[in-house]
Amino acid sequence: MSLVLRDLQRAVPLRRAPLRGRLQALRSVLGVRRFDLGVVCVDNERMRRVNRRYRRKDVPTDVLAFPFHENLKAGEIPQPEFPDDYNLGDIFLGVEYIFQQCKEDEDYYDILTVTATHGLCHLLGFTHSTEAEWQKMYQKEKQVLEELSRRVGTRLQPLSRGLF
Amino acid sequence: MLQLLRSVPRAVGSAVAGLRAAAPSQPFRQLLQPAFRPCARPFGLLSVRTGSVQLPGLLQPRGPCACGCGCGRLHTEGDKAFVDFLSDEIKEEKKIQKYKSLPKMSGGWDLEVNGTEAKLVRKIAGEKITVTFNINNSIPPPYDGEEEPSQGQKVEEQEPELTSTPNFVVEVIKDGSKKALVLDCHYPEDEVGQEEEDQSDIFSIKEVSFQPTEESDWKDTNYTLNTDSLDWALYDHLMDFLADRGVDNTFADELVELSTALEHREYITFLEDLKGFVKSQ
Repeated sequence: MSLVLRDLQRAVPLRRAPLRGRLQALRSVLGVRRFDLGVVCVDNERMRRVNRRYRRKDVPTDVLAFPFHENLKAGEIPQPEFPDDYNLGDIFLGVEYIFQQCKEDEDYYDILTVTATHGLCHLLGFTHSTEAEWQKMYQKEKQVLEELSRRVGTRLQPLSRGLF
Repeated sequence: MLQLLRSVPRAVGSAVAGLRAAAPSQPFRQLLQPAFRPCARPFGLLSVRTGSVQLPGLLQPRGPCACGCGCGRLHTEGDKAFVDFLSDEIKEEKKIQKYKSLPKMSGGWDLEVNGTEAKLVRKIAGEKITVTFNINNSIPPPYDGEEEPSQGQKVEEQEPELTSTPNFVVEVIKDGSKKALVLDCHYPEDEVGQEEEDQSDIFSIKEVSFQPTEESDWKDTNYTLNTDSLDWALYDHLMDFLADRGVDNTFADELVELSTALEHREYITFLEDLKGFVKSQ
């Protein structure tokens, strides 16, 4: 199924092909390639609007996830009855925010990958409202990124590291 | 009754016409007949021009040179009103004109304008990149939303700004090559003023083909790749290819500004030409 990638911003010159490559590898590791996924790259202004609209927070952020299947148990892969339901949902990537947060010795596309992993885990039911939930999410991100690192040859750390 | 009508000013002519239609009478016709004014053209020619159909007085054009200019051309009351309207319209359009001169594109593009067609040209590392667009039919219809205006907001304030989002064609020619890679690019077809959280790319590639550089005519027999059902990875590579040559989201946004400014300028020129044509002096 499709990975739909959209770049709605001009703040950061984004290379679509390498980002798609990373996202496809992520989907493969998570075992969700048969599900549609939307990834929308936005600047701070649009991210702030979306954050304000859906979370009542008038600030930009790095990632927002909009799951297609709500109320999934953490890590549960959906088992849809209908073809149209083979959809995980959408991730909004705050590429400008992430660029601004990126340290000098960090690879921007590595950070985008880590952030997208965090967003994908949200689409699969992981949350971090409590410490227990965070632990589960952190372990999942770590596992995914380790596997991804083996395939892609990078060393990636989970975004949820240090959240609790 | 006749004495009363003679003192009535011309402004109530239309009300009187209604009475005349019901009960035509010679004195009424005389009152409403446009005053004859001398003209430079011989009467013989005039009768050939205006034809022999007798129109009711109100509808009859005031006749050539009725405005007194002496040019002999047709100047109706409608023409005069049209010219006055155009004068106001031109004044208003110039007032809201955002750019008095065309905005510059960043990235070292040279601009050539030929009427409604514009060409942006850039040379970089053995390649020539040309972006061509036409401002005709480039303004999408404004969004006719069903939502009521929010409390306190005037309806006029909700009108979205008209922007020109023309299709544009990118040609990439490598030095010494006899073929150009041609990419037909479009802006999303969303209507202006629609939902802000629209998730379309700023621009998209619709078709790709190779065309010979030495011929100006499009070769239909050359394969044209349509991106509607294209592999997404290939599509992303094409977008990155364009971005490397300066055709990226920033370029696309700036092109909208340029196209909008050019379209507005051409519109004002058209209005001025129209005014001159109708006035015809």
